[in-house]
Amino acid sequence: MSNAVMQFQIISRDPQGTSQFYANLFGWKVNADNPMGYREVNTGATEGIQGGIWPAPPQSPNFVQLFISVDDIKAYSAKAESLGATVLIPCTVLPDGGSMSVLHDSQGMPFGLWQRPA
Amino acid sequence: MQFGSRLQIEFEARKTKNPRYSLRAFAASIGAEHSTVSQILRGTRPVPTGTIRAWALKLGMLPEEAAIYVAASHAATPESSRRAQQLLHWTAEALAVINEPVHFDILRMTRDPGFRPDVRWISRQTGVSIDHVNIALTRLLRLQLLEMASGEWKDVTGFQELTERKVRKLALERVRWAAAENRINLGRKSNS
Repeated sequence: MSNAVMQFQIISRDPQGTSQFYANLFGWKVNADNPMGYREVNTGATEGIQGGIWPAPPQSPNFVQLFISVDDIKAYSAKAESLGATVLIPCTVLPDGGSMSVLHDSQGMPFGLWQRPA
Repeated sequence: MQFGSRLQIEFEARKTKNPRYSLRAFAASIGAEHSTVSQILRGTRPVPTGTIRAWALKLGMLPEEAAIYVAASHAATPESSRRAQQLLHWTAEALAVINEPVHFDILRMTRDPGFRPDVRWISRQTGVSIDHVNIALTRLLRLQLLEMASGEWKDVTGFQELTERKVRKLALERVRWAAAENRINLGRKSNS
């Protein structure tokens, strides 16, 4: 399978302020009415990808990470580790049945793996 | 590029023009001790900040260039900056584990038959904001104290009886291990 970039995630120390900023700037719709309280971003565009906003602890920098689609999250996680990545958040099954994992790549930059619900 | 690297380039350039050009001559040309320049070029000591301006001018640099090298000597190196950032991160992680009972509360609640894997519900139960619950949740996943699978959240501390003290101790151990993987030492393991 090809490994598409599925989603952007903004990690922000002030997620509410970040939501407000992009809503005001681009008219993005942000909806947190889900069991994780996750601020899902709908850009309203048919091109590009959609994303979300997640809170960061106070000492963390603000940053963006990309989620890449895989068909076997554990296999890709192991492959990434063999290439110098480290796992930050092991495979986690989300309430919608999809799975995610967050890693640091070989340069220390965080990225996510995402697998569709079975 | 720090001033020491610039000195190296200047010296190599002069040697290329004149293969008999010595380090002693180079040091004399900038008014420095031969041994000092030798150590700088070998990378065993930094350029003394107070000498950069004078040496730079002797090398024919513009005062503006000299000023940049002086400023650069005060800037953190990428490695020292990485270490400072990592130290800040891991000590803050440890302090959050020590000071924020929501970590223990989440683990405790997952054992309750009435538990609902819904951050909004947890927020209401604990009186902690949804964002703070999510930060704690992310930390618990990262420290591998909690697992989320197929709509179920599972405390994976391995403790039969869960106490705040035990959880704090295990969490701090995991923080220390993770920090050590990033070459940050958060102190020796306690024997208690």
